[in-house]
Amino acid sequence: MNPGRLVGHVTMQPAAVYTRDRCVTGIHGLDEILRGGIPYGSTVLAAGTCGSGKTTLGMEFLVRGALAGEACAHFTATEPSVKLLENIRQYAFFDMNMVDSGLINVFDMDVLYSWLGLEKASFELDDVHALIKAIVDIVNTIGVTRLVIDSVTTLCYKIKSEQLIRDFLFTLGKKLATLGCTTILISEITSATENAHWSSFGVEEAIADGIIVMGDVERMGHLLRFLQVVKMRGTAHSRAKHAIELTPLGVMLTPMLKWGAQSDKTSRWGS
Amino acid sequence: MIMFELDQRIAEQLTEVALNSAVQVRCGNSNAFMVTASTIIPLMQMFEMGGVYISANRGAVEIIEAFESIGIDVSKIQFIDLVSSGILGGTDVPYSNIHFVDSPIMLESVLLRTLYILRTTSSERNFVFLDSVNALAIYNEDRILAEYLHTFINTFRQREILSVVLNVPDQTPPLVLSNLDLYCTDLIDRGQVVIH
Repeated sequence: MNPGRLVGHVTMQPAAVYTRDRCVTGIHGLDEILRGGIPYGSTVLAAGTCGSGKTTLGMEFLVRGALAGEACAHFTATEPSVKLLENIRQYAFFDMNMVDSGLINVFDMDVLYSWLGLEKASFELDDVHALIKAIVDIVNTIGVTRLVIDSVTTLCYKIKSEQLIRDFLFTLGKKLATLGCTTILISEITSATENAHWSSFGVEEAIADGIIVMGDVERMGHLLRFLQVVKMRGTAHSRAKHAIELTPLGVMLTPMLKWGAQSDKTSRWGS
Repeated sequence: MIMFELDQRIAEQLTEVALNSAVQVRCGNSNAFMVTASTIIPLMQMFEMGGVYISANRGAVEIIEAFESIGIDVSKIQFIDLVSSGILGGTDVPYSNIHFVDSPIMLESVLLRTLYILRTTSSERNFVFLDSVNALAIYNEDRILAEYLHTFINTFRQREILSVVLNVPDQTPPLVLSNLDLYCTDLIDRGQVVIH
């Protein structure tokens, strides 16, 4: 039987809709916001203020991939991998066996710099290319399909030219996409208001396929964490603010109350 | 153990509700605990439900001790305490079934914590008991509270979790009260209490 609706003598068929394959994040509520997940091979900027849950989000993204049998990698530039793993072990969703079995591979950027002879204050063009090649080689060798760099801000502090940062991120994103790797670049920002930039250097947000902003809404002296998908190429998505909780089972989201989505006027977060 | 007379008519009324119902329970200042106990006990004992008790009115320890004093085992209930952490400033408690949210103004956190508990619970049939709308009204503006109750009730109805909302009508703003009447599917009214 034809499922189309009959209008006069003409049977109307729904237009064929092309949808990109998705990397299902597995994060409670986020896939619903993204109408199924992040389009495969995307480079997504997760930009947030301190304590907003960026690292937990990034790690859960990898854990959910590992649980589905995907090879995952985490490059940590903000804290040593040992400390990162100690912090993340408190969450019931994380299992150290995933690291031991090689499903989640954690790399210290400092160690990577040392391997590459990049123990210097600032990177030039050749250094940036060497870094891209090293990351891409690791992704290619292990067959990584989910990658997190925490944080791209710390990494980019070593790249002095805005143009070079742009080239670095653009080239890295392009090569990772070619390999079918979905990447979350964690970015540190000082304010998550509507007037703020969503990246430290102003170039990351233009290059990324998606931007997820994380921050706090101050309500009568209490900080409520929020997450908002500002941009995601290749999919329709909600752009509403969502409240988040970091639970032992992982990140949980619910739409933020409309009458409480703005910070109190006197707070430093909303100014 | 203190002898305590329950309102059996509440148990009878509860036999009429479905899992996806939202029940508004109206009480007065003087009978709030009797009405609460008369609602909770049948849910646990007659219908063998587990649940989440959200306490915005008093600290969860006080509520647990009050229940225990009349012989109710509340080990199958998880408590979310909204007053002990940020208002009373104490979370060192002898019960493992108490969870804390910093403040009654963190309404979304309360919802997410409830959903988290329900994800971890082993009970097949669950209720969420909100004690109480008038306590939340002390800290939250009318329109955000009305919006919250709309979200709260629909979230649990969608998941086939019985929501029970305790309310002292004369301490609840009219906007919130009228919205509550609109969203709830059932009403247990014990609000007209005359004290002789």
